[in-house]
Amino acid sequence: MHKLRVADIDLLIKYKYDTMLKQAKFYESEFEKPMLTIDIPDEMLEQWHKESPHLTIDDIEYVYTGASFYEALLHFNGFMLHSSGVVKDGYAYLFSADPGTGKSTHTALWQKHFGSDDAKIINDDKPAIRLVEDKLWVYGTPWSGKTDRNINMKVPLGAIVFLERSENNWVKRIEPKEAIPLIMQQTIRPAEKDRMIMLLDMLDRVLTSVNLYRLGCNISEEAAEVSYNGIRVEE
Amino acid sequence: MKIKDGYLLREVAGSNIVVPIGEGEMDFSGVITLNDVGAFLWKNLENDTTEEELVEKLLKEYDIDENTAKKDVAEYMSSLKGAGFIAD
Repeated sequence: MHKLRVADIDLLIKYKYDTMLKQAKFYESEFEKPMLTIDIPDEMLEQWHKESPHLTIDDIEYVYTGASFYEALLHFNGFMLHSSGVVKDGYAYLFSADPGTGKSTHTALWQKHFGSDDAKIINDDKPAIRLVEDKLWVYGTPWSGKTDRNINMKVPLGAIVFLERSENNWVKRIEPKEAIPLIMQQTIRPAEKDRMIMLLDMLDRVLTSVNLYRLGCNISEEAAEVSYNGIRVEE
Repeated sequence: MKIKDGYLLREVAGSNIVVPIGEGEMDFSGVITLNDVGAFLWKNLENDTTEEELVEKLLKEYDIDENTAKKDVAEYMSSLKGAGFIAD
């Protein structure tokens, strides 16, 4: 078993394959008593592997340890948003969209345009959001999808942006009402009623606290400039 | 008649939304938004009721005439039934 601290949660977790060993390295920690334990039996991993033979057992471990963590996150006033998160000026901006739309491409453009010291990828695919002491925080986690772009840090949530491809670059502020179905599509929907209520109450807080946008973007560097100017938190 | 099991109505950021829960009717995976009257009727439909009872409750809750209430309830029930949300 390994001891990690992920999203300010002391996590006792079992893993042994390369991807997790590599991804989790920067989250190693020490504690007496875990806040959360993830111990997936080998037989279950093997069963899932049989059901998805195109994946390696290594991938399976990475995917299911992540799924277990994000399911449990609800019980810590948190949830996962399928998005690429970039940190600039001390705020995390989350770009959310279906796979293949260009989330990672867009945040990579921020890095190209602003430099990778000024624009850091906190998590390229599945950042954690938590309400801690009445404030919304974005956390890097070891589970960042196909890339290893994640940083063990916590940053205030700046904005949530729903990204789509477009010939021109534009930003449009949207109301919570419009964002509800979009955000529901990009998180894990619990099957149980009490857990669904926890998610919806969390989303209520998020959608009424931060600015929400739609972004249409191409893959020019101008996209990063237009997007940053349109969504940045004014001090 | 009542709403089938497997749906949850909740207010999120000022909107009344309905989402499916459980393993049941997963052919619908979206989010429905209801206006205030729709949410009021939905809540009353969580327990077994009739169109007549819904009309009565609507008249008590909202300042509308009986004909409008009847028409609203009939239209609402027809769309809920059409979408497969109602169990007899």
